Amino acid sequence: MTSNPLALIAEITHRCPLHCVYCSNPLQMIATKAELSTAYWVRVFQEAQQLGILHLHLTGGEPVARTDLKDLVEAAHAAGLYTNLITSGIGLPEVRLKALVDAGLDHIQLSFQDSQDGPANWIAGAKAHVHKIALSKIIRGFRIAFTVNLVVHRQNLDHLEEMIEFAEQLKPDRLEIAHAQYYGWALKNRDTLIPTRDQLENCMRIVEVAQERLSGRMRIDCVVPDYYARYPKACMGGWGQRLLLIDPSGNVLPCHAAGVIPGMSFDNVREHSLEWIWRESAAFQRFRGEQWMPEPCRSCDRRAEDFGGCRCQAFLITGDANATDPVCTLAPTHHLIESARPEARFDGEQVSWSYRPNPE
Amino acid sequence: MPRPSDSSQPRFASGCRWGTQGEERVVLFPEGMIRVQGTGQNILELCDGQHTVQEIVAALSEKFSGGDPTKIREDVGSFLEALQQKRIVDY
Repeated sequence: MTSNPLALIAEITHRCPLHCVYCSNPLQMIATKAELSTAYWVRVFQEAQQLGILHLHLTGGEPVARTDLKDLVEAAHAAGLYTNLITSGIGLPEVRLKALVDAGLDHIQLSFQDSQDGPANWIAGAKAHVHKIALSKIIRGFRIAFTVNLVVHRQNLDHLEEMIEFAEQLKPDRLEIAHAQYYGWALKNRDTLIPTRDQLENCMRIVEVAQERLSGRMRIDCVVPDYYARYPKACMGGWGQRLLLIDPSGNVLPCHAAGVIPGMSFDNVREHSLEWIWRESAAFQRFRGEQWMPEPCRSCDRRAEDFGGCRCQAFLITGDANATDPVCTLAPTHHLIESARPEARFDGEQVSWSYRPNPE
Repeated sequence: MPRPSDSSQPRFASGCRWGTQGEERVVLFPEGMIRVQGTGQNILELCDGQHTVQEIVAALSEKFSGGDPTKIREDVGSFLEALQQKRIVDY
């Protein structure tokens, strides 16, 4: 029996005023004219609640770029969903934020690219940093949950302590220190983003000290990034087990990156109910459970814990979506991860980015 | 942060609220939820920013007549402290 999903990630648009070099959006983005209408999203939120979903994550691109965002938040709240907004904050003046809070927004997660103006704008490919600081002060004037999200990588980890102090001044309830994950645009820029082992070990020490110091005031979440972990992450809590993602056109995916796997086809909420897609569609069944697993996963004690890791990463690194996630130290292809670490091939810093462009 | 005093008026932290999962009442917060049943639910239902800890203890002592008020005060204090650490409750 298939379990019910707990969270829905709604990528409501791929339009974005930022061009971050580690964006998780697919390289092939959905055009504006293909975006799902308000009415479809409203129906999807109601179906999501009936399916047992508790959390809705409104994201993008930049979700604020949708002019009907207030209507979407209102519909999600009316359906009984806990509504999270994951935003760069650009295009969100106080009056609009107030309208979203009045419509039932529960939580806002604001991303920062760095503590310093120059480097932050360099990563974002846009002058955004000062606007974000201004918005964070406005956010604290409302009674909603506030998370600051800091994406970390080789270019900024050397001043992590300064970034944590910066985040502290913004007074969020929670700070998420997110290591860049190598899909989409981040994979394209991996050689410039991937941290050294020294940086990573320092990072975990700094985080531990800060967690202790800020306990009860600001929660800090940080997990060891894939490329230095011993075992893979339980990607999405297992394929088709807990989460689903809807892209701007209404296609329903088991995760952000599933479109990279050859032979995948996704069903659309314009043609099918969310429940049918979750339970019956080929995309959700493809790696659900353990039938697909190769060795060493198939006989591994950890198979019910990490589900063989990430299918997209397996394909992107090994060329085979059925392979054990190469992040796993038990995987026969683990050397592909070892050789991607900077120590293995680092010959002086040369930075050239591929910035994420906008969809048509 | 110390445990709540008798005059503290606990309430949900910003962004935390009741929700339902099927027939069950749950507490929702960013990135998660908890199921609270029994006494925990009784306590949280009184965390409205109005009731003091003393009043919550009195209400529970009445509900579970025969309960030791000192023990109840102790349990309420540690329960609220744990939820404050998780940023679910403020006092």
